[in-house]
Amino acid sequence: MGDAMLLRAKGVHKTYRLGRVDVPVLAGVDLEVREGEWLAIVGSSGSGKSTLLHLLGGLDRVDKNSGPIEFLGEDLRGFTPARENRYRNRDVGFVFQFYHLLPELTVLENAMIPALVGISRLRYARERKAITERAMELLEDFGLAHRLKHRSSELSGGERQRVAIARALINRPRVLLADEPTGNLDVKTGHGILDLIAGRHGAGTTVVMVTHDAAIAARASRQVLLTDGKAS
Amino acid sequence: MYAPLLANRYLTSRVIPFIAVGAVAMCVALVIIVVSVMSGFLNMVRETGRSQIGDVVVTHDVVGIPFYQEFIAHLEALPEVAAASPVIETFGLLQMPYGVAGGKRVETVQVWGIDPVSFDKTTGYQKTLYWKYPSEARRAELHEEDPRLSPLYDGLADAMAMQKLATGEDGVVLGIEISPFNQRMRDGTYRTEDPLSGEQSRAYWMPATEGVTLTLVPVSDRGSLQAEKKHQFRIVNEFESGVYQIDAQRVLISLEAAQRMLRLDSAPIVSRTEVDADGRPKVLGQSAARATTILVKSNEQCTALQLKYAVEKAYVSFVEKIGPDRAIAERLPGHIDVRTWEERLKDLIGPVEKERELMRTLFSIIYLVCAGLVLSIFWAIVAEKTRDIGILRAIGASRAGVLWIFLRYGLFIGLVGSTVGIGVAALVVSRINDIHGALGIPAPMWLKIAVMLVALAAIVMSVRSILRNRALATVLWGFGSIGLMGIAVLLWFHQGFQIWDPSVYYFSKIPSDLDMFTAVTTALGGVVFSVIGAAVPAAKAADTDPVRSLRYE
Repeated sequence: MGDAMLLRAKGVHKTYRLGRVDVPVLAGVDLEVREGEWLAIVGSSGSGKSTLLHLLGGLDRVDKNSGPIEFLGEDLRGFTPARENRYRNRDVGFVFQFYHLLPELTVLENAMIPALVGISRLRYARERKAITERAMELLEDFGLAHRLKHRSSELSGGERQRVAIARALINRPRVLLADEPTGNLDVKTGHGILDLIAGRHGAGTTVVMVTHDAAIAARASRQVLLTDGKAS
Repeated sequence: MYAPLLANRYLTSRVIPFIAVGAVAMCVALVIIVVSVMSGFLNMVRETGRSQIGDVVVTHDVVGIPFYQEFIAHLEALPEVAAASPVIETFGLLQMPYGVAGGKRVETVQVWGIDPVSFDKTTGYQKTLYWKYPSEARRAELHEEDPRLSPLYDGLADAMAMQKLATGEDGVVLGIEISPFNQRMRDGTYRTEDPLSGEQSRAYWMPATEGVTLTLVPVSDRGSLQAEKKHQFRIVNEFESGVYQIDAQRVLISLEAAQRMLRLDSAPIVSRTEVDADGRPKVLGQSAARATTILVKSNEQCTALQLKYAVEKAYVSFVEKIGPDRAIAERLPGHIDVRTWEERLKDLIGPVEKERELMRTLFSIIYLVCAGLVLSIFWAIVAEKTRDIGILRAIGASRAGVLWIFLRYGLFIGLVGSTVGIGVAALVVSRINDIHGALGIPAPMWLKIAVMLVALAAIVMSVRSILRNRALATVLWGFGSIGLMGIAVLLWFHQGFQIWDPSVYYFSKIPSDLDMFTAVTTALGGVVFSVIGAAVPAAKAADTDPVRSLRYE
């Protein structure tokens, strides 16, 4: 813990192709995320905030002529598919605006699912108890102990987002990437979610949060403004 | 470890997998049922054909094989041989005891001279005899003039003796389809009635009260036709082999009668130059009686082909044993034609075999239908699950992991569907004659009323759904009530219909043995095509870009 460099983007470019037209979204973004900080990326709608977050989380790839994104000095462009999957699974945790829970699973199973990815049946048998206890602990911390057996369709928006945060934290990632985590919630519930994120940040988790709301961004320890495809 | 959890949840929390299971089960069951019935039909043809001629048939030309008794004794000493029987095969004219305008109808027939006892051991002849001594109950149903009511009647004993024992006349056993008065009924039994008027023709009930005249033409050693021989026979029974071609053409007489009429019996050999004390040509010896065919039945351990080789070898040793002088004097053939029953009956079995393979091939197209159904169902599932796949990829699931979720899904549908399909097929095939029987009679009144009531209830429910403004319920109840009402009307007017008519098809019952080879291969095919049907959308799912699937949700 301290001010070690966790994520670094240097001259990152990303262009989407819409039909026959190339639409540049990011045009040389430079960004540094230090361990333990809470960074808010702000910008207007369509400024490329979510795209940048996806690139940082290894969900998307930068352009060929782009500069690198490094995680603890390791260039994400050089990741093998297996390393990429492990990066998404172990090193980062994603929280989405629309929660994106799996509707067929219970609250407990949703929270556990990243811990089940990439482990064998044998290891699962060995670690099942520990995984379940960790998920239950997180859900209890988030006030969902009474909802363990419920499906996501039976939860409120705030409850769903809390399950999504528990899912993102189950594998103890180095960084939590939150894409408009309160964007779909009322103000009161949204602040409850931010309190929860603040609590995890206080416990040492690095947070990178995307928002278009300056008031929400103010909760972060540092803010970066994304305009015209560049960070300032 | 997440793949089994998700695959199980996808399977158990939705209706669509059960539709896919049903589709696979129906496809598998359909193929198994059709091919099983066809295979059963082929097996019946084969078994019936085999039971008519034994396992191996030894033939020579029309002048026959001399010393056949010795050769049969030689054969019966072989460990491969269970029984052997001499037969004389020829063609003849059969004058029936009835006809048009006082004339008598003449049929061209295939004549077999047989030794009933050894023929029965070789072919199961006695089982094919149709007219049995009537039971007490049956006797009450018979017409008073029926010859079977005579205390002297014993169709089985007469047929086994090949003569009418009561009178000592030579007997003949006709194929059951030779007489047009034998009408095959829908249950596969025969009644004797006039095919035109439908009236029972008492005079021609079999065994007929009048005799038939058989005309045969002997052939000399040099192959020239000799003066025809006519002989009066008494019909002692009729046989039903189960093969129309045989039952419509063949008549059986005793071997001795056939030898006599064809001059194949034992006769004195006389000198053309020398005379005896009475001035008659000097008798030099006695020629051997002949048979044109020998039927051989194998023991249970020996195949027809093994028996064929054993018989061929045995003939060579037999010729050596009998001695070259006698063999030459009797013109014992240097080579005989030995064929297995399959070789002999290939014109009968071949077309049915081809038909079965054709059906198997045509119905195998159903596999493709099965794959298409699973493919379309999976395509819909994957399209619906795009967001879930994006989530899984975002939390680190590999492409192979996502692929495996949907492949497991396909494998499960294939396995369960195929298992259910085998079960349905086994049930239908084993009960096929009961099902057929139920279709053949009008529906019982309670069933008609029950279906009508259910249909009326469905109509009430659909009206209720319309009044409540419920679209889905209206559609489901609406189509349900139309379907049920259609079934009710069909049942009401259904008078019974027969798909398998034993008066057309030769066997009285539909074959009901499950073809295990077809069941296993079809079930495997169902699994393979389900997995293939799942693989394409599963691969599409694995390739799904997580950003696209999450961003545009």
